[in-house]
Amino acid sequence: MRLEHIPVIGPLLAAGADDSVFDALLILGPIVIIIITFLGRTLPSVLLAVAYTGGFVGYIAYKGVTETTESST
Amino acid sequence: MANRLGTIARDLGRMLEALAGLILVSVLIPLVWREWWVVPGMILSGLLPLLVGFGLSRAFQDADDPGRLHGMMIAASGWFFVAVFGSVPFLLIAWTARLDPTVLEIPARFTTGGTRTFSTLAAFQNPLNGFFESMSGFTGTGLTMTDNEAALPHTLQWWRSFIEWVGGVGVIVLTTAILARPGSGSLTLYESEARSEKIHPSIVSTVRTIWWIFLLFTFFSILLLWLAGMPMWHAINHAMTGLATGGFSITDNSIGTYNSVAIDFALIPIMILGSIAFPIHYLILRGNLRNLYKDLQTRWVFIFFGLGTLILTAVLFGQGFYQTETMTVAGIVLHGRTATLLQTFRFAIFQFVSAASCTGFQTAGSLGPGWSAPAQLTVAFGMIVGAAAGSTVGGIKLIRLLTLGKGILFRIRDVFYPSTAVRTFRLDDRTLSDDEAAQEFEEAAIITFLWILFLGVAAFVFMIALPMGPDGYTLENVLFEVASAQGNVGLSSGITGPGMPTVTKVMFLFNMWIGRLEIIPVLVLLRSLFVSMEVYD
Repeated sequence: MRLEHIPVIGPLLAAGADDSVFDALLILGPIVIIIITFLGRTLPSVLLAVAYTGGFVGYIAYKGVTETTESST
Repeated sequence: MANRLGTIARDLGRMLEALAGLILVSVLIPLVWREWWVVPGMILSGLLPLLVGFGLSRAFQDADDPGRLHGMMIAASGWFFVAVFGSVPFLLIAWTARLDPTVLEIPARFTTGGTRTFSTLAAFQNPLNGFFESMSGFTGTGLTMTDNEAALPHTLQWWRSFIEWVGGVGVIVLTTAILARPGSGSLTLYESEARSEKIHPSIVSTVRTIWWIFLLFTFFSILLLWLAGMPMWHAINHAMTGLATGGFSITDNSIGTYNSVAIDFALIPIMILGSIAFPIHYLILRGNLRNLYKDLQTRWVFIFFGLGTLILTAVLFGQGFYQTETMTVAGIVLHGRTATLLQTFRFAIFQFVSAASCTGFQTAGSLGPGWSAPAQLTVAFGMIVGAAAGSTVGGIKLIRLLTLGKGILFRIRDVFYPSTAVRTFRLDDRTLSDDEAAQEFEEAAIITFLWILFLGVAAFVFMIALPMGPDGYTLENVLFEVASAQGNVGLSSGITGPGMPTVTKVMFLFNMWIGRLEIIPVLVLLRSLFVSMEVYD
């Protein structure tokens, strides 16, 4: 199934940065928020939020480093 | 003329249909919060623009694509009418509480007179207050007619945040993304909404990518604020208004309510994200981090924010405004001047980033009467300049100031060269011909001149309408408030509120409207109206 065929969010995902990690973060974002809302401020919910935000920032840094390395070689 | 009106009416109808969708989607909020009594008001508020929009877009569906003139008139009239129809939820919910039909079982706090909760909602029985709130929201200003935001029904808290979030990216960007109408018409409208940079050759792909970036950043911001200690409902609302650099809050004292260093410093990167142009975000998300310093505007966002923070810290520290005995940072206890300096830095960085990003979150409760004139004027300067064009911020924009500054230097240096010398003007890695450079200077100079002109007009109106002097407001209070409204910022020195004179509310409505669209489209619309009414040829 192609990205743009997913109902509602398909065209939005297809307009992204052609990156499956960011697309996954976009789809998982509201799910994570709903889960945390139901769990409240507990250790698992904090870990979930840290994983999401850390994953987002870490992945941008990773892409930045790999891009810089590739362009310099 | 009739054809021109048809084009405008058709696109206006489409914008109203999109607005109706936003209102009807928001009916989920009262269902989640069990605020059943606001549901009829929200549904009616959604049906009204839906019917009008459907009627206009169908009646004129064969109208021509918009040209440059149409584009500007559609953008200006569209933002005006979206704000008008966007005010209906405020009006209907306030009047539902006022009429208090037994069948809806409205909580007593909204219907019992004499309390702050009652007076906060009752303020929206006046349609002008609702229109002010709606215009402030859609334009991302954040000045409010509410007395106590925390007392509003959750549905109105959401509606205020939601319209700022949508308005931050743009009503036309939203409509274009949904309708996916390809061609030059959409590009003309896109450019009329104070945007020019494209991410992809196709305008539909560009606006969809903008929403892709914005959604991704919104989820990240919500979770960051929650981790910093905000309750989830607060995090959702403040992430939306912070990223959109709008500044509406759902608490009585804005971000100052939390008195939390962690929340202050979590919001700073969110406001900075909103201050960077979307095409740069796109490149950064693709791994090209060098754009953070290679792109002229983005580089200057950091330089401007940094310099402003240092100056404001120095001014406030010199004033001794934040005298602090002890302060604990990461387990280390600081005393005396060190504690005072860090506390001053904390407020200064938050308030300057909030001002220059045109967000308008406030942590300094006594920003108006307490801060010295130099401190207020430093913040006002940040509000007037703003940050990057192509982001969600208001103000004149850094790129225009840089163009003017470099242009002035270019002209002065020109005198020292022989008249036969061939010189080129470079701006942001672009080499401009004489004609191109002249066009860039002209555009930057006109916008800056008009910006300052309308700032002066509004300040004049306020000085006449408000009590001035020892028992009233000072000139810097007025300049601060007007710069805040026209820069779509929302910081307040205490002037804005439901009790302000009607003429000042109308003036601010105009300031917020022209500020969001960068003045020219509104002037084009007004000129066309005056010409059609034969006020002048």
